[in-house]
Amino acid sequence: MSKAAALPTRLAKVAYIGAVLAMCITPFLLVFAISFGEKIEGAAWVWGFQFDNYKRFFVGADYPNSISFLYLKFLWYSLYYAMIASILAVATCFPFVWLMTRLSRRAQTVWLVFFLASLTLSEVFVVMGWDILLSNRSGLPALFKETGLTDLLKETGWFDVLRSWGLASPRNVRFKPTEFATILTMTYLVWPYAVILLYPPLSKINNEIIEAARTMGAGPVTVVRTVVLPMVRTPIVGTVLLLFVFLLGAYVTIAVFAAPEKHTLSISVYEAVRGATLNAPFGSAQAIILLIAAAVVLVFSRMALERGEK
Amino acid sequence: MPFKSTAKTINRRTLLKTSAGAGFAAASGLLGSPAIAQNRSISVGAYGGYFEDSLKEHVYPKFTEATGIIVNSVTQPDSTSWLQTMNQALKAGNVPADLSMHTPLNLLKGERLGGIFAPINTGNVSGVDMVSEDFIHASDAGVLGVGVFSYYSSMVVNSDEVDPVPASWAEFWDTGRFEASLGLPKNVNFKFLDVVAATFFGGVDALRSHDGIVATVEKASELHPNVALWFSAESQMEQALKNFDVVGGMYFHDVAGLMASDGHPIASVFPKEGCPIDFNSWTLSVGSGKAAEAEEFIAFTSQPDIQSLMARKIGTAPVIDPAKTDLTQEELSAVAGTPAIKSPYEVYLDDETFITETWDRMVAKG
Repeated sequence: MSKAAALPTRLAKVAYIGAVLAMCITPFLLVFAISFGEKIEGAAWVWGFQFDNYKRFFVGADYPNSISFLYLKFLWYSLYYAMIASILAVATCFPFVWLMTRLSRRAQTVWLVFFLASLTLSEVFVVMGWDILLSNRSGLPALFKETGLTDLLKETGWFDVLRSWGLASPRNVRFKPTEFATILTMTYLVWPYAVILLYPPLSKINNEIIEAARTMGAGPVTVVRTVVLPMVRTPIVGTVLLLFVFLLGAYVTIAVFAAPEKHTLSISVYEAVRGATLNAPFGSAQAIILLIAAAVVLVFSRMALERGEK
Repeated sequence: MPFKSTAKTINRRTLLKTSAGAGFAAASGLLGSPAIAQNRSISVGAYGGYFEDSLKEHVYPKFTEATGIIVNSVTQPDSTSWLQTMNQALKAGNVPADLSMHTPLNLLKGERLGGIFAPINTGNVSGVDMVSEDFIHASDAGVLGVGVFSYYSSMVVNSDEVDPVPASWAEFWDTGRFEASLGLPKNVNFKFLDVVAATFFGGVDALRSHDGIVATVEKASELHPNVALWFSAESQMEQALKNFDVVGGMYFHDVAGLMASDGHPIASVFPKEGCPIDFNSWTLSVGSGKAAEAEEFIAFTSQPDIQSLMARKIGTAPVIDPAKTDLTQEELSAVAGTPAIKSPYEVYLDDETFITETWDRMVAKG
């Protein structure tokens, strides 16, 4: 009986794993295959096998008449924003989560529910909120103007410094489009994830260990630095990397808050695939390169982490 | 709607004149069609949102009243993705809509792709001779598109901050007046390049060579210190104008007029070089069995009173001689102006990758 029953079970298992693999791999393979396709000027694209799209990524379409590193620059900004914002999110979140785990069970639950609920805010909503907060007539610049801070800045000469940093127009301070607004919003976007990812490892740290350190004379900051941090180093790096990967795909934030010279590959991929040129092959090639770049970052971080643990 | 932006591909009127969701519009369009077998009907695609709603409210009922043909409205997200949708659906043997709306660029694209647009027998379309030849898309296979409305992108300025209003686009290059103050389109398809060519290079024909494109783009790059916003969605520009994030730039003529009538200090200007005109056309799907109904429908929307109606209700400019319509001078100048800069559409197709990347590199300083 056992043999008769085992066969369907095994078949079901194989079918299930096959289906999962197909669902995971098919879209990826499709993108990979399209990336070798050929763009027809003035129309769409056709299947093909040539490396022009990859070549264009590194030197531009007009090469060798002219050379352009436009897409490498977009790649750099993809990695740059995602890395800075994920590190900032974890750095600012860590003290909060640490203090939160020292609260009563009930208070912890309330905070966790709050953060879980805040995950329902999509990128679009978050961006809309910050957009209003940073706008000239409804947000911070209006506050600067009304409180006389703008005039004060102008009198003290700081206004010209802000202008040279691109944080002011001749009329008032301005926060968009700026790197500041982009990174701020991206950090905000992943903050709840940082809380939820850091909570489990930090809440497992026993109060007795802390008390032991305290009785040996260590201050609270020393305890966190020398006892808590080393215990959760791996989860912290893991959280940074997960948020990093998540932020590589940020689209709305970049479109609204970053100046075009500091746009990322996610914008460029979308414009190629869904924009007026209908150039899915070039979009796919960019996506594949972004994927490879992300994988390289993850592998190197992992190697660095392992070396650090030895 | 008429232009394809990036990202959200936002149809201009959907966002601008916030209306019920396109999904709701589509659903109500279907509900509105009684299933009586002997009734003649036609499915017509239009850009979802305010635009489709207005057609359904003002134009389609009149057409049904006049001809007995029922219109089933189909929501198009825009022209470019709709062309993709049509291409895929038609290959699979479905007709997504008998008539669809397309930009001249996508009309050319569809013609080159083949198997999407069926020729329209204009001999059967009464009054089609009123439609200006500029708006008729003739190909070897016959007429593939008949213009339905046109619109202008004009110079807009904040009339409180910019006084007097510029007489030429060239004034935008004056950093003394416009430092970090302008909002310009990020996408080359918005045709700001046509304006640069018309202003500094004697006309859009300057774009017909690679050297000409490079020279024009280089001239545009001198604007960098003056540009505060390269907008990819029109809602960004609308907000920036209202918020004083920018005090000038290029935007839709009719929408700027609407914003002005809402009390915003905004003026839409036709400088001496003129403003880009663009238009949209009706196209007939390959495989549609409704050619006769389509001909009646196109004849109907080409009529002077329907062209005036659309100008008043939707803010589009007529595709027929305005003198034939009953639009007053004031009504006409709300939707149109002179001179018009006509885009060299073939350049944007034949040199698509080159012109796009050259422009993108300029915008991104790459």
